[in-house]
Amino acid sequence: MATVRFQNLRKSYGDTHVLTGIDLVMEEGEYVVLVGPSGCGKSTMLRCIAGLEDISSGDLFIGDRRVNDVAPKDRNVAMVFQSYALYPHMTVRENMAFALKVAKRSAEEIRVAVDEAARMLDLGHLLDRRPSQLSGGQRQRVAMGRAIVRRPDVFLFDEPLSNLDASLRTHMRVELMTLHKQLGTTMVHVTHDQVEALTLADRLVVLNKGVIQQVGSPRELFDRPINTFVATFIGSPSMNLLPATGHGATSTVDGVEGTLDVPSDGAFTLGIRPTDFTVGEGPLEADLIVVESLGSEAMLHMDLGEHRIVARVDEPQSFQSGDKVRLRPNKVHRFSAATGERLP
Amino acid sequence: MSREPSKVIVFGTHAFLTVFTAATIYPVLWVLKLALTPSRAFSMDPVPVPGLALRDGALHLAPVSLDNFRNVIFTYDAAGSWLFGWQLMNSVFVALATAALGLTLSATAAYAMSRWGFPGKERGMAAFLVTQMFPGVVMLIPLYLILDELHLLDSLMGLVLVYSTTSVPFSVWTLKGYFDTIPQALEEAAVLDGCSRLQTFWWVIFPLARPALAVTGLFSFMTAWNEFILAATLMGDPKSFTLPVVLQRYVTDYGTDWGSFAAGSVLVSLPVVALFFALQRHFVEGLTAGSVKG
Amino acid sequence: MSAARVSLLRALLVLAALLPLPWRQAIAAQVDEIVLWHAYQGREEAGLEAAARTWTEQSGVRVKLVAIPFGAFASKVETAIPRGNGPDLFIAAHDSIGKWSAMGVVEPTPQLSADGLRPELMEAVRWGDQRWGLPLAYKSLVLLYDPTVIQTPPTTTDALIAEAHKYTGGGRYGLAYQASETYYHAPWAHAFGATPFDAEGRLVPLDSDAHVKAYAFTARIARDEGIVPQQPTYESVQRLYNEGNAVFVIAGPWFVSDVDRPIAAAPLPWVSDAGAPARPFLTVDVAYVAGQAQHPDEASAFTTWLAGPEGARIRQEQGGQAVSSALVPTDDPLLKTLEVQSKTALLMPMNPGLQGLWESEAKALRRVMRGAATPSQAAHEAALYWEVVSRPSPPAVSPWPYVVVMVAVLLGALGWLLAPLRDPDFRAKLRRHAWDYVWIGPATVAMVLLVLTPFVVGAGVAFFAHDQGEFTFIGLRHFTDILFARDWPLSSPLSFFYTLGVTLLWTVTNLIVHVGLGIALALILREPWIRMRAGWRAALILPWAVPNYITALIWRSMFHVQDGAINALITLVSGAKDPVQIDWFGSFVTSFGANLITNGWLGFPFMMVVTLGALQSIPRDLEEAAEVDGASWAFRFRHVVWPLLKPALLPAVILGSVWTFNAFNIIYLVSAGEPDGTTEILISEAYRWAFTRGNRYGYAAAYALIIFGVLLAYSRAANRLVGRKVL
Repeated sequence: MATVRFQNLRKSYGDTHVLTGIDLVMEEGEYVVLVGPSGCGKSTMLRCIAGLEDISSGDLFIGDRRVNDVAPKDRNVAMVFQSYALYPHMTVRENMAFALKVAKRSAEEIRVAVDEAARMLDLGHLLDRRPSQLSGGQRQRVAMGRAIVRRPDVFLFDEPLSNLDASLRTHMRVELMTLHKQLGTTMVHVTHDQVEALTLADRLVVLNKGVIQQVGSPRELFDRPINTFVATFIGSPSMNLLPATGHGATSTVDGVEGTLDVPSDGAFTLGIRPTDFTVGEGPLEADLIVVESLGSEAMLHMDLGEHRIVARVDEPQSFQSGDKVRLRPNKVHRFSAATGERLP
Repeated sequence: MSREPSKVIVFGTHAFLTVFTAATIYPVLWVLKLALTPSRAFSMDPVPVPGLALRDGALHLAPVSLDNFRNVIFTYDAAGSWLFGWQLMNSVFVALATAALGLTLSATAAYAMSRWGFPGKERGMAAFLVTQMFPGVVMLIPLYLILDELHLLDSLMGLVLVYSTTSVPFSVWTLKGYFDTIPQALEEAAVLDGCSRLQTFWWVIFPLARPALAVTGLFSFMTAWNEFILAATLMGDPKSFTLPVVLQRYVTDYGTDWGSFAAGSVLVSLPVVALFFALQRHFVEGLTAGSVKG
Repeated sequence: MSAARVSLLRALLVLAALLPLPWRQAIAAQVDEIVLWHAYQGREEAGLEAAARTWTEQSGVRVKLVAIPFGAFASKVETAIPRGNGPDLFIAAHDSIGKWSAMGVVEPTPQLSADGLRPELMEAVRWGDQRWGLPLAYKSLVLLYDPTVIQTPPTTTDALIAEAHKYTGGGRYGLAYQASETYYHAPWAHAFGATPFDAEGRLVPLDSDAHVKAYAFTARIARDEGIVPQQPTYESVQRLYNEGNAVFVIAGPWFVSDVDRPIAAAPLPWVSDAGAPARPFLTVDVAYVAGQAQHPDEASAFTTWLAGPEGARIRQEQGGQAVSSALVPTDDPLLKTLEVQSKTALLMPMNPGLQGLWESEAKALRRVMRGAATPSQAAHEAALYWEVVSRPSPPAVSPWPYVVVMVAVLLGALGWLLAPLRDPDFRAKLRRHAWDYVWIGPATVAMVLLVLTPFVVGAGVAFFAHDQGEFTFIGLRHFTDILFARDWPLSSPLSFFYTLGVTLLWTVTNLIVHVGLGIALALILREPWIRMRAGWRAALILPWAVPNYITALIWRSMFHVQDGAINALITLVSGAKDPVQIDWFGSFVTSFGANLITNGWLGFPFMMVVTLGALQSIPRDLEEAAEVDGASWAFRFRHVVWPLLKPALLPAVILGSVWTFNAFNIIYLVSAGEPDGTTEILISEAYRWAFTRGNRYGYAAAYALIIFGVLLAYSRAANRLVGRKVL
């Protein structure tokens, strides 16, 4: 178990800067999820920890050791790849034992370690099969098993669930949490799926264009997104962002009638989560375009002036497209119109 | 298309295949027939089936014998050494060693070219392939001189070196193409599992590249097994000749001893044909990866 | 240094010392053994072995007999002996003495006793003012006949023709011999006076009256009279005789051991038209003491004994040789006939550089026999041809300007290569990748040493003219000669541009056949409704699996005009009454076609396999979607399969075209350039300049460099065309 510490870490390929000045500490035993759109540099960060990418400048520590120039195999980290990267020519048992075999552990030690990992992941009956004979979920578990067997200081997960279907993904999320509880090891998980990020993370790191946007617990990020990027990226459906103008104690949405009790001055960006509306009464009136039914609840897609907004309701039956719907925001976020930063 | 097309098309296609395949194996059948016909000279009738002859529009039985094979196999030199045995051993040794050495040389180079961005990689790969355009005519004598300097004349090792080197460009090309199709994540996994480059190569890449290795190994083997010009020039002793050199003895200035030549040809071809059939399921996969990826 | 390290070092040294083991043994060979190279086979080889055994018993010196394949013999003695890797002595025909004495392949042997050897045969080893080895045996053509049919052999050609007519018809021929070969034409030609040299030792012009008359005579006896089969090969003459379908045969003594019926010999008849006896060439087998022999004294002793009465008797009795010793009489009728024939026979000249003369005459003879030229036209062309191939080497030029340019270019290239090293980033990158170079190192070193260096050295010869072992620097002269077609008009088959045209046609047509058949078969073989798909595939890759020099020779014999399977098949299928006799190698189109069929047959399996693989990577649902849209088969291929197939096939096609461009084996073994060198491609033409037209190595090397240049330009163009790096 170990902490992972980034100090002003930069990574660039020629003139392309992938990571710019990363400062971050991952605590011992913490489950950290790196999240962001594709190309934001989250996978590169993970691969820097693994040692698969060179660091251009800055420092990286695992525990107290500076690992910039330490070979991957000497960092004692284990990684689960998006494609699982199981060795196709080896059985499940051989796959899981491989790292220990390379390290020249005794046969007995290897057997014990593999059996224990297999038991934890319920892989016992699959040990003699080859990866090609396994289902997607089983492969995923073997990949986990291969990581566990090594008892690493840090687990690295590179989009481990993205190749699974929806129900399996939910199931594996639970397994990952259980595993974290059992092992208590530092785990770093990369995903672009914010639901996965919110459910799993002790702490979330939101990245965009190689820059850390915000670090915090899922609750913090959801409740107090630091800028419009985090605001729209976290939460599903995304937060509605509307250009608005403040008039001291009240504000109005540009081009829309109705006054809101939001104290502000001048132009700003108004953010309202779809869950934060009271529907049926309020100062705003929108045209209902589509009702997206999700069973017990529904998403109303509406035009507010020329802005498309989404609101969640619990009784979908009472709405029909074409209706005029009145709305009241219960909770709002304010962002600078110029920089997108959160306004206090 | 899972549906079967009309009966006419199915029948027509099979008929075409039958005719075409017959035409394809026709010359090969002739080699067999000549080998089994107890005569040095022959006139070809249209039927290349051993033991049959077409004369005056009717099929007749023709004599069949293994004499030619006996002639070729039981050749001894003045000292009573069993030449054919020696030559067979030489051929087997040279071909196997060429396959092994050729694979080692080309697999390591191909792997480096497939994976790592060292300066000069592109130019190196191009240079390897450019050697395929060298006309061999002018190279024989300089090669002789170089091997003489290296004290590798008259040595089977010298032949092995030359053959495995000639097979390198095509092998590198094929193998690099195949290595390119092996996901990089597997090597990264191996690196994290503690493998050095050599261990990764040996334990992960090598087993996965089996189809391509089988194909390139076979081609290296064939290079060595079939070659006779270099072998005749570089080796000085019938006991160190390879089988194809011996075949040339049946083609002289006066004429060709077709019976012995054909029997020898059958003996020389059999192992290669057998290997071809044994490995052919790998061909499609092993060869194409190379050409698809370039 | 630790003890373990030292012992490892020692082990490596020992290993290195062991590697070239056979070579070390050669150095350490005991003085009681000498090495003899020969190309004898069958009975002659047995005779030589018996003689060597007797010698060993008498002298205690063992003789190691090394049989070298005939085809490799000359190039082997010429490369090995000057480098000190040769035998102590070797046996070969006398007519290369001129060349070999200049190259140091053979040693002068004034000391060897010629006692008891026929003096006229001693002429065969005299060259310059020296003697080189001793004559062992001699050979020439004689008239052979079937004694069960003929009691008294005819003594004039008129009588021979008349006699032969009686036995000709119904698949039977009065006379069988290889009429289109100059060696077999020579007896008639010499009778007319068309000898290589006249009485004063001057070359007889190739368009002399005598030559014209001789061609006309051969055309009459071997073609117009209809008593000789068409284009007979040695094997077909042999077969005809064994079947009782040939009464007279003109051949050498070796023919006798290849027949299994009674056969008798007589001297060749008096040539009625010329009023002179037929004079075949006389070739003499000579035992030479090799240059740089390890044991020249033992070799000399054995040579003298082998030529002398004791050795001669064994060779005569057990080897069936017509020996040079006058002290060993024989009562064998064949040997007696040879002895008689040798009195009129003409000793094969030993002058180097006559190879081109034989080639000129051979071309003329074949044209006359084919009816493609009148005797006087053909003789005229032969003279022109000889003028070019015998042209003296270009004058030497000063190498210094070239050296300066070379050095400048090399320095420039080096500077260009090393320039990036000034950049520290580049140096850092190099350091980071240092290990990568270790991985490509072994292959690179091997390629540089065993492929690049031989090519550079070999190609460097292009700037030199070679004449009997002497190289003179002549600069770019060969290149200008070739590229400006100095010697031949552009349309002549000998001009570079004609050959280039044929080569391009050859490459393109082959690719069409390979790719066309390959794709067609692959498309068929991937259909799931084909029965036994694996079986078909296995049968269809057979041409690839059998060594191509074997199948090329088989194809050549299948195309033979009279004995070939192809003509027999055409006869059968067409139902013609008379056998179809297409002379495949008699015209450019059919000859080129024969080459193309052979190489097409050899090459389609590779393309088929590559296409099968490429097809696997094309998802079938694309095609199915097109089919649902109602697209026809042709449309689907054109718009769905082909666009996806093309990028996968291109690299293989480009590599395949380079191989085809240099497909020496096929041209050399199948058409051999016939007719008249029109089907030669660049690589086979280069080979001819190097090995059959007087060892013009420099000219050949210039050809090779130009070939390389053409291919390089082609591959660059192909890369640009394809839009990515393929080759």
